[in-house]
Amino acid sequence: MSRSGGYYHLLKAVIYRDLLIWVRYPVDAALGLVMGVFFFGVMFYGGSLLAGEAIGESIEGLVVGYFLWTLSLGAYSGITNEIRSEASWGTLERHFITPFGFGPVMLAKAVAIVLRTFLTSAIVLAVMLLMTGTSLDLNVLTVVPVAILAIASALGLGFAMGGLSVLYKQIGNVLNLLQFSFIGLISAPAFDLPWLKALPLAQGSALLQRAMTEGVRLWEFEPAALAILVATAVGYLAAGYVAFGLATRRARRLGVLGDY
Amino acid sequence: MARATADAETETARPTPSPDDAALYVDGLAKQFGDVTAVDGVSFAVESGAVVGLLGPNGAGKTTTIKSILGLVSPDAGEVRINGVDARARPRAAYEQVDAMLEGARNDYWRLTVRENLRYFAAVRGQNPDRLTARHEELLERFDLAEKADTQVRSLSRGMKQKVSLASALAGDVSVAFLDEPTLGLDVESSLQLRREIVNLAEDRGLTLVISSHDMEVIEDVCDRVVIMSDGRVVADDTVENLLAGFEVRGYRVTARDVPDETVAAVRDAVDVTEVTALDGQTRIEVAGDSAAFYRLTNVLEAHGVDLDAVETIQPDLAEAFVEMTGAE
Repeated sequence: MSRSGGYYHLLKAVIYRDLLIWVRYPVDAALGLVMGVFFFGVMFYGGSLLAGEAIGESIEGLVVGYFLWTLSLGAYSGITNEIRSEASWGTLERHFITPFGFGPVMLAKAVAIVLRTFLTSAIVLAVMLLMTGTSLDLNVLTVVPVAILAIASALGLGFAMGGLSVLYKQIGNVLNLLQFSFIGLISAPAFDLPWLKALPLAQGSALLQRAMTEGVRLWEFEPAALAILVATAVGYLAAGYVAFGLATRRARRLGVLGDY
Repeated sequence: MARATADAETETARPTPSPDDAALYVDGLAKQFGDVTAVDGVSFAVESGAVVGLLGPNGAGKTTTIKSILGLVSPDAGEVRINGVDARARPRAAYEQVDAMLEGARNDYWRLTVRENLRYFAAVRGQNPDRLTARHEELLERFDLAEKADTQVRSLSRGMKQKVSLASALAGDVSVAFLDEPTLGLDVESSLQLRREIVNLAEDRGLTLVISSHDMEVIEDVCDRVVIMSDGRVVADDTVENLLAGFEVRGYRVTARDVPDETVAAVRDAVDVTEVTALDGQTRIEVAGDSAAFYRLTNVLEAHGVDLDAVETIQPDLAEAFVEMTGAE
């Protein structure tokens, strides 16, 4: 039989499957949300006790930074966990034997993960705003594209590390350690030290702060700032995707693609 | 003998049918892992609609061969064509009509329901799942899964999980499917049912199936042809009947009443007796050899006035043929 579906059906099926799997591990899904809010609460209330009013002056920046951290963490660990789980379930190889090719199917999975991450991070953001009594400028046309471009670099890192986990299997410690570096990248002073803008997340974090705390619209950013954001997003995502492709190619040469 | 013929054929001839006509065409496939040669010049072809068994002892190279055909392992050399399309040069086009059940039950998502798995894997195969609803219902009915269609796979028995794996491999309406150990771990009844459905599917839908199995009965029951591998090489490639015919009759078994000891002794002098069993007044004598040995046996028995109750030929089954060809235990 000839093909009756295309990328639309693939994407729809991948997104639906991702959401179904997420809700069917309810404890994991709920704990992810609860822990996300809990850690913010510890930071906020702990910070208030220790620093008093000082924390109040930087609370908006803290909320935006934490929001981006949950987004980037969700995208990064989402894609690495997906690749590791699929390998252990024995389903990874089935995605290789497809008329779409392995790469496009994995990209579809990345889209699904980003969508789910936005959903969960939005819930955490709403709770953070309620908890702190702060308000942020949430212009969707600005926040969503800037946030997507910001976490694209984290997704690229996720692809690269996912590729390494296909190749070397047990690298959980490295994967976990890398996610802590996101805190540094998100809080990097990209406006003060221009070279930091080339790092993953840094430029996105800086622009997202301005968009959400100062109300700057997407079209109001300097073209050069947007160009750096797009370049780092595309660059890191492409590099991660290529690294994933190289790692899976080597895994196929070694015959370890589906082993776990 | 089949083994010698097959060796000679695989070393000198390209497999038939031709690369463009075959549903699956493999020529000179080779894969080395370090010092270990996993696949060594494997060649065979499968015509459209055929069910071919890939048989071999552990480490024979069956799984590596299948994975190399599917591109999951990069072969060092060789040509693979699926429905005439070069799988190494144009993998997306080649795998358009292919799916595989690779490793027992864990081949799909256990947190999804049976139906959700079928719809998902149909979409990954480039199909619109809505257009395959009838096909999926048929698969559910065929594998006795209709009542469990909306149950998560994790709640099913091992046998049912195996069926879901098979159904999901066929959910994209593919024309070529690879089934790696499809009955592994199943009880006798489930195995028989799955075998029956594999045969029906192949006949009804003209599916081309390549089945790898340790289970001789599965191969003997289900397959039109068998490719036997040993040490990474094809040692035989023929129909089950022809493979067994290559061994011909191994001997004869005669049963008669009240056979005196001196008659048995005379038989022993005349032919190569492999076993004599006496039970409830009946004596069963097994002799090795061809028809000439059989005539010498009957001549001796006739000369001693013994009437025969039954005569049987002793023929090897596929397991015996397999052991002889591969040297496996």
